[in-house]
Amino acid sequence: MGDIAVVGIDCAFPGAAGVRAYWDLLVGGRAGIGPVPGQRWEARDFPAVGDSGGFIDDADVFDSDFFSVTPREAAAMDPHQRLLLPCAWRALEDAGRAPGGLAGSGTGVFVGVMGGEWGRLTMSDLAQVTPLLGSGSSAGMAANRISYHFDFTGPSLAVDTACSSSLVAVHLAANSLLAGECDTALAGGVNIVLSPSLGLVYGQLGLAAADGRCKPFSAEADGIGRSDGVGLVVLRRLEDALADGDRVYAVLRGSAVNQDGRSNGMIAPNRWSQERVLNAAYKRAGVSPAEVAFVEAHGTGTVLGDAIECAALGSVHGVPRETPCAIGSVKGNLGHTEAAAGIAGFIKAALALHHRIVPASLYAERENSRLRLGERGLRLLKSPVRLPRGENIAGVSSFGMGGTNAHAVLASAPRSPRAVPARARADAGAAGVFTVSADTPEALCRNLAAQADALAALPKGGAAALCRSSNRVKTGLPHRFALTAHDTGELVDGLRRAVALRTPAPGELRAAADRPWGRPVVAFLFTGQGSEYPAMTAGLYRESPAYRRHFDAADEALAAHLGTSVREAVLGGEEWGGRPELVQPALFAVGYALARTLTELGVTPAAVLGHSLGEYAAAVTAGVLPLGEAAALVARRARLTAALPPGGGMITVSAGPETLAPALATEPEVVAAALNGPADTVLSGPLDALARIAKELTGLGIRTRELASPYAFHSARTAPVAAGLRTAPVDCAPAALPVASTRYGRMLRDEPMDAEYWAGQAEEPVLFDAALGALVRDIAPTHLVEIGPQPQLTRIAARAGSLGGAELLHPAPGPQGTGRDLAETVAALYRCGLDPDWEQLYAPEHRRPEPLVPYVFSSAQRYWDRPPASVGAPVERRTDDPPRRGETPRRGETPRHGETPRPEETPRPEEPPRPVVSRETESNGAGSGDPVLVAVVEAVTEVGGYPTERVVREARFHEDLGFDSVMIMQLKNRVEARLPRVGEVSVQQMLPALRSVGSLAEFLDGVIMARSA
Amino acid sequence: MTDVHIAATGTALPGDPVDNTTLAKMLGASKEWIDLFVGTRTRYFGWDPATGEVHGSLADLCAEAAAQAVRASGLGLADIEFLVLATATPDTLLPTTATEVADRLGLDHLPVYQIQAGCSGAVQALDLGRSLIAGGRHAGLVIGGDVTYRFLSPRQDAAKIPTNELVNYVLFGDGAGAAVLTAEPEGERIAVRSVLNSWTGRGRQPGQLLDWYGTTDRDSDRPMLAEDYKAIEEHVPPIASEILWDLLGGLGWSLDDIGFLLPPQLSERMTARIVERLPDCAAREVSCVADTGNTGNALPFLQLDRLVPELADGDRALGLCVESSRWIRAGFALEKV
Repeated sequence: MGDIAVVGIDCAFPGAAGVRAYWDLLVGGRAGIGPVPGQRWEARDFPAVGDSGGFIDDADVFDSDFFSVTPREAAAMDPHQRLLLPCAWRALEDAGRAPGGLAGSGTGVFVGVMGGEWGRLTMSDLAQVTPLLGSGSSAGMAANRISYHFDFTGPSLAVDTACSSSLVAVHLAANSLLAGECDTALAGGVNIVLSPSLGLVYGQLGLAAADGRCKPFSAEADGIGRSDGVGLVVLRRLEDALADGDRVYAVLRGSAVNQDGRSNGMIAPNRWSQERVLNAAYKRAGVSPAEVAFVEAHGTGTVLGDAIECAALGSVHGVPRETPCAIGSVKGNLGHTEAAAGIAGFIKAALALHHRIVPASLYAERENSRLRLGERGLRLLKSPVRLPRGENIAGVSSFGMGGTNAHAVLASAPRSPRAVPARARADAGAAGVFTVSADTPEALCRNLAAQADALAALPKGGAAALCRSSNRVKTGLPHRFALTAHDTGELVDGLRRAVALRTPAPGELRAAADRPWGRPVVAFLFTGQGSEYPAMTAGLYRESPAYRRHFDAADEALAAHLGTSVREAVLGGEEWGGRPELVQPALFAVGYALARTLTELGVTPAAVLGHSLGEYAAAVTAGVLPLGEAAALVARRARLTAALPPGGGMITVSAGPETLAPALATEPEVVAAALNGPADTVLSGPLDALARIAKELTGLGIRTRELASPYAFHSARTAPVAAGLRTAPVDCAPAALPVASTRYGRMLRDEPMDAEYWAGQAEEPVLFDAALGALVRDIAPTHLVEIGPQPQLTRIAARAGSLGGAELLHPAPGPQGTGRDLAETVAALYRCGLDPDWEQLYAPEHRRPEPLVPYVFSSAQRYWDRPPASVGAPVERRTDDPPRRGETPRRGETPRHGETPRPEETPRPEEPPRPVVSRETESNGAGSGDPVLVAVVEAVTEVGGYPTERVVREARFHEDLGFDSVMIMQLKNRVEARLPRVGEVSVQQMLPALRSVGSLAEFLDGVIMARSA
Repeated sequence: MTDVHIAATGTALPGDPVDNTTLAKMLGASKEWIDLFVGTRTRYFGWDPATGEVHGSLADLCAEAAAQAVRASGLGLADIEFLVLATATPDTLLPTTATEVADRLGLDHLPVYQIQAGCSGAVQALDLGRSLIAGGRHAGLVIGGDVTYRFLSPRQDAAKIPTNELVNYVLFGDGAGAAVLTAEPEGERIAVRSVLNSWTGRGRQPGQLLDWYGTTDRDSDRPMLAEDYKAIEEHVPPIASEILWDLLGGLGWSLDDIGFLLPPQLSERMTARIVERLPDCAAREVSCVADTGNTGNALPFLQLDRLVPELADGDRALGLCVESSRWIRAGFALEKV
């Protein structure tokens, strides 16, 4: 059998609300057994069942909003289904996946469930049966609902083999993976003890423990205590998991399932079948029983069951071996979690292999001597055991009451040390972007706080790998948070600050600006000459592997024409004044590398603009010039420039061309070289003429400033450059992106950017202001990113007020710039709706999975609509007067067995819930004033079971209210009943309007108007 | 004894470096005096020099350094089979800082040792780690660190501090370092060829004192920290030289075989004096004290962390350490394989 990797885990068991808590419970040797909660049943009414058991906290909590399930439907759903959904989400996160990112994949779902208590309790009154109860109580739906809500198209099935259900589910999932039926599978089980019925059965069979506790293999063992549990693992083929660098808890080497057949009674265990299933599993796994270090036994703690299991374990493992095979059973800690029992043992064994510690088995101090464990080569674990290094093998058994037995063979994950050489640790302080996303502003705040707490408990260290993991796992929900950080200290501080900022004072409305409503429209502005400085972008080059790679590529392309490397000059801190022939190529390399780095990170510009020299890198980004061609052109332009005679220069002037016209008329050799803004012009010409004109303008109160340029660019003096550029043909393609041309001062149409273009571009004025104006008008960018070694164009544009409201971003903000500024640019765009390709932000040594605490769901909504089971006499209860939550109905008022109230009639979220969407938009109570809207809201409220105040105008039927086609039909009928003036409207007519509550109301309003006209 | 190997190192220095200008201002002392007599340029304090508030305990620093070392080694936490921590300044007497660090790292069910020592504790930890691996363990953590928050405090009355106490403020700093030891060559693949760890103080007066007070003597005015500079200046250089010859002799190595030398780090000036007294050799000196101050048990690890990226296959290095409290001579010989 091929190897299957366990890459993700989530669970909740009595006394252990998550994986970490479960492990702490196990190594701490604690049990999660407690009194029967009043919510389940009145313990004193059922003395035969005992007053204790294993019950998980908050079994009634369900974040129905998160999964877009209506309160009405949530209330009709079996708690099994409600618990599985968040469990699946957390397990996938633990596997290093953003669950939303798997939507549409063929991920398989295999869930063990048994009994169908919910159906019996809710569907027995045939007069009250509804479609929601039908789907809510079907066992198959337990798996299918995960597939539906996560949009998984692989196999999806519920497995009921009684108490072995969840281990059989794991077995089926592994087979499905090995058969290539799916590439990722969720497998596990769920069990909630809803009523004492099965406990009564155990009692009558003499199998119920008096104290509600399983005491496996103990002299005190007296039977079963029933328990809750939910657990799912994420499984992948080992080679896939290793190839993707997943964290592997353990490897499933093989598993087997068999049946007792016609044995010693339908529900009696069978030693020979157990032996056969163990041997079959070992054979399939390719291991000998002597290699098995420990077995997580079924171990229910019934006298007969323990005896038969130990006989079978002994005959298989009692071979000549160095040390006895350790055995234990988690049922001592949890009780018997029935349909979730196999997965409880499976997770325990996987964690034991992961931590190299096998927890002790509880109640082992008084080992049952009649089991003769020592003689059988077995050892009951009375204390935790540290496993030896190297590969360890573990077995997990789970046996069903009906005779279906399962055994799984787990092995340690392959050890694959990935050392980080000290030499490669230069950027240990590399910056990353930590992301968190959530479905509501409150949830974002809650999850920011959870991450802060978890990170604060870690030893201080670099943040990059944690950031990368957060990008892979914690993105995809509508409310987004992103923080740039170097180390965990900075990260924790930033998260705490973010929580404080988002925590409203009492009575204050929660500010919520974390939900982008669209995607950013980004324009790249490529800076021209004059922006250079010594060691420009050296910090970015040091810290960003992507920038380094692209800069080196540009350098190589240029070196072919320059005969020298600009990298040395740039990073060596070249004083550019002395090397004109290198300045232009160096700036081109910076522009090219920055743009390529950003596009590789998923920042695709909607348009580009290049100021003078910047237009070359812009043309490469727009697909006009290949890198080699642009490098050749830039090198030629630089050579031609360096050959110009000295004596020219440039000044900037705070005035527009009209104001300057009289002065320019007196100095015919001086020209306007760049029109940067209405009061921002660059003049170019001979130095003496410039000095005269500067004096004259200063006298007129116009500010002027000398530029460091050694040449009079974009003037007649650059004619030799233009002439030189005209001589060689240019291999150019039509632009693949809109280009704002600073030569033409408008968007480029179908003019080629050929030799003639570049020649004209060199001697004609730079029409930046006009080009940017055209870009802003045409593209309406939300963000302008300056592609150059320091902000220059964005400052000019800001001065001119021509930004059109766009936000400015500087991935290379100047001499102090580092990789952090690049990260912050990506973070800013993510916050505004971009989904970057994060991977390129991180160096290879930071591309390793780091565990993050799973998503924290809301606990505000609780669904436990069944009153506790009781033996009392029934009283007719009006459905519009349900008992309050937490209030146990008085005895004598509760329904008799078989006369169960209808959950879907009485959804009662515990707290007054908030409006369902658009919490950040002001809503004046959706229905106020408009009778049509009131009618729609009422109808939606009825069909969905939402409280009225939650159904706001902006609420969307599918995404926010979870409406499906059946509910839409119900809605149509109720709307028609409420608004007779609408008359008959077909669903087809209505469909386009079924976006939101508001859009439906508007549509109906229109229909009424039309009918009355 | 079989070789053990250093797979990776890690370090932790709290906050921003404190330079002599800042320190001189804080103490009301002369910057020139610090520059001239101590030579140390910067140090780090895990407590606020203005308020005394502690933001980097020994456990914080040791956990940070150890986590960094484990991560760099590529090993998983489950691979770590022991932890040894050496310090002169534990956060509490009990529980030991070693156990606190194990907890923060997420280690469980493994032997954890704490060595009470001065700067030679780092070598003692290495020595113990080597024995544990010789005894069958496969991989473990050795950690060294010291903090000053109990012994130095923000004070305004610098003029009244006697010079022999004032010098403590300018000598010491906070820090931690760690190394992952493995049986087989892994990660950086640096074989520990030899470890010297020998107490040689019989009948000699302590060269350094670090005291602590309890409930019965908390009002005592005896000094918490004191050094016998004359004795240190006189004895440490020749002892360092003897350690060098001892290590070379034991391995049959000659001076020319050594590419790197990690000398004792008392202060920049003192280290310079020790190096002067050592026999001439071409080995490159790897020191850190001028930048980090005297961080006690962290020092050899901080030096190692600087050495590791420099070592090429076949390179050899010697580390020398003299603990002047009661004259412990310690050292180690390394070779990248």
